[in-house]
Amino acid sequence: MIGRGFPKAPRSYICPSCSRSFKLQSRRHATAASPDVYDVVCVGGGPAGLSLLTALRSSKATSHLRLALIESQDLERARTWNLPPDQFSYRTSSLTPSSLSFLSQIGAWPNVDTSRVQPYRHMRVWDGLSSNSRISFDALTSEPPIASMTENQNLSRALITSLDDLPIISLFDKTSVADIHLGPPLSFPAESPTSLDLSSYPHVTLSSNHTIAARLLVGADGVNSPVRTFAGISTRGWDYDRHGVVATLKLPPGTGHSRENPQRVTAYQRFLPSGPIAFLALPGDYATLVWTTTPPQATRLKALSTEDFVAMVNAAFRLDVVDLNYMFTLDSGQVDELEWRESVHPGNKADLGGETPQHIASVQEGSIASFPLRLRHASTYTTNRVALIGDAAHTIHPLAGQGLNMGLADSRSLASAVEHAVLHGADIGNEIACLDRYNEEMWMSNNRMLGAVDKLHWLYSATSGPVVGLRGLGLRTVDALGPVKGWFMRQAGAL
Amino acid sequence: MASRKLFALPALVRVTIARSARPFSVLNRPPPRYEGHVPLNAFERVTLAAGSAVMSLMNPRRGDLIAALGETTATPFFIYRLRDAMLSNPTGRRILRDRPRITSKTMSVTKLRALPENGVGRAYVSWLDREGVSPDTRNSVKYIDDEECAYVMQRYRECHDFYHALTGLPVFVEGEVALKAFEFANTLLPMTGLSVFAITRMKPAERIRFWNTYLPWAVSNGLKSKDIINVYWEEELERDVDDLRNELGIKRPPDLRDTRRSLREHKRIAREKRDMMGGLRAD
Repeated sequence: MIGRGFPKAPRSYICPSCSRSFKLQSRRHATAASPDVYDVVCVGGGPAGLSLLTALRSSKATSHLRLALIESQDLERARTWNLPPDQFSYRTSSLTPSSLSFLSQIGAWPNVDTSRVQPYRHMRVWDGLSSNSRISFDALTSEPPIASMTENQNLSRALITSLDDLPIISLFDKTSVADIHLGPPLSFPAESPTSLDLSSYPHVTLSSNHTIAARLLVGADGVNSPVRTFAGISTRGWDYDRHGVVATLKLPPGTGHSRENPQRVTAYQRFLPSGPIAFLALPGDYATLVWTTTPPQATRLKALSTEDFVAMVNAAFRLDVVDLNYMFTLDSGQVDELEWRESVHPGNKADLGGETPQHIASVQEGSIASFPLRLRHASTYTTNRVALIGDAAHTIHPLAGQGLNMGLADSRSLASAVEHAVLHGADIGNEIACLDRYNEEMWMSNNRMLGAVDKLHWLYSATSGPVVGLRGLGLRTVDALGPVKGWFMRQAGAL
Repeated sequence: MASRKLFALPALVRVTIARSARPFSVLNRPPPRYEGHVPLNAFERVTLAAGSAVMSLMNPRRGDLIAALGETTATPFFIYRLRDAMLSNPTGRRILRDRPRITSKTMSVTKLRALPENGVGRAYVSWLDREGVSPDTRNSVKYIDDEECAYVMQRYRECHDFYHALTGLPVFVEGEVALKAFEFANTLLPMTGLSVFAITRMKPAERIRFWNTYLPWAVSNGLKSKDIINVYWEEELERDVDDLRNELGIKRPPDLRDTRRSLREHKRIAREKRDMMGGLRAD
């Protein structure tokens, strides 16, 4: 259960002697100067932050910690989020099997509306500049699906519902962080022999003017993380000069893979020189689109009429790059161009036995959006009493669909590090005793994933003949070597 | 693992794989993809290219051999590049949609003669008259597998006479070689480049003229000008020819016929002078 503001019964996990002295102190000097101390204060109520709190609450060892969540949005809206079954949010993510197992383990998965989740067992990836360079991934029916398409809001709602069922946490929603600073140094001589030294504890001043102190401050507060700024952690990376265009696509009625044959549901991705375009099935006759492209082309796409936008999407999975580039120069008339090009190359028209996605019929109104793509990686995830998770720690190109999965993996790792520290009587805010475990486990593996995805982006932006030939050879080789392909699949699914 | 998955495929899929894997041979030629198409395998293609190259060098008047050379060397890359150049251009796309053909029926010579004096159509028809050729002297494409690329090759071939009209270069070997060099720089079709080897058939004076005047002209104009394949000639017939040259960025080379005529004149006068002076050299 989530309680608003300060709960009446503080459930702090501080070692018994400290907590006793803290209670004594607060009784003795009940002044505005002494802040409320929490074990874990999480800034940011996105999937990463919410899953961390759920994980901490659901584990026996950490369930008694005093937790606080600070979120600038109204969480009530996320809790009551509800869309009719014929509408889907364009903000979707593909959850890997290991993310699913983490969500089940913390008890959040049963709260996800699975009628809105679409698992897929097949994947077709190919090169826009040489269409015979392709790779296919097929999970056997005995194996778990490659990934499950889930709306981010469906996941957030499930996490909030799970938290509601668990012991109370302090929630400060519709509240932003006004300031973060360290506590005052202990005056000397101490006012009392038992007074707490909070000088190393981050103190968060809220927009409501309350100040709370954190034994461990977690930054799950996104790309421009105030917690990261407070901790003085630098980030490295670059902007891709690309935008991700997302939309909810509608298929012709009754043609959705999921209805006909749930085992055949396939995800498609074609690498165009401007960036990959992905078609990811949703339940029923719906799919989600993620199209990475240059900012001018993204602007053009958003300005097109619905019919022309649909034609562009259909063209992007079928036509040559030269045709696409030409169609991007037009203000309208893409429908006509697509029709003509498909009549010239009838081979493109057939969906080649599921090798390309079916033609889309329409796009859900108001569902086209775009966002800039970048790579960022914090130089470390932890300093004394501070840990960063999710987008605050890393931002990744969406071509492998790993962003949310990496955030959930951070939560799992940090929660287990905290659990380990609690079980061993260590300070959860201490780097050596607790946080280093998290940093060591996640930083390098996230860095590897960021690097691999970044290299794929650059490799597939190249248009020169020899590069296209070599990458095609590489892709076909991996496709032909079953065990190597399996290894790649496990790498992508392991996060 | 991989083999187990292959056998897990439904029977129908396996049959299709087996059929498409049947080898291409003289006895098992795939069906033509368009009217007049002759599918070739790699060996046939290479042999035909080599044979037609040698034979057309021995006899440059064999247009059919030059055509075969052009078609067999245009794949795998060059004709696609030229088609993409057309697909990137609005007019080029329109040509590919309409697929106009240039024949004596679609380009009536009498109608062309009625066009304004310095227009493209008039330049073309006066060029036809001067060289004594007709739009119908073009072979149809047979050896290019892609139907659309076959049209591109056909279009290039039929427009070739317009390029003569545009540049004013004549049909004999020297003018043809200069135009082919220009076309190579502009279209990158290998046959046009290979045709430049015909300089081995030219006289030393012509060769010097080619190296000093026409090759530099061809390279600089061919590279700098727009893709001439994207000119919709049927729509430009009434256009002023200098205007079109300016738009495309082509400068007219020195008139080869005039140059030759004046050189011949020069020689004749020199010879006459020599004869008058009793056989002493005067030039």
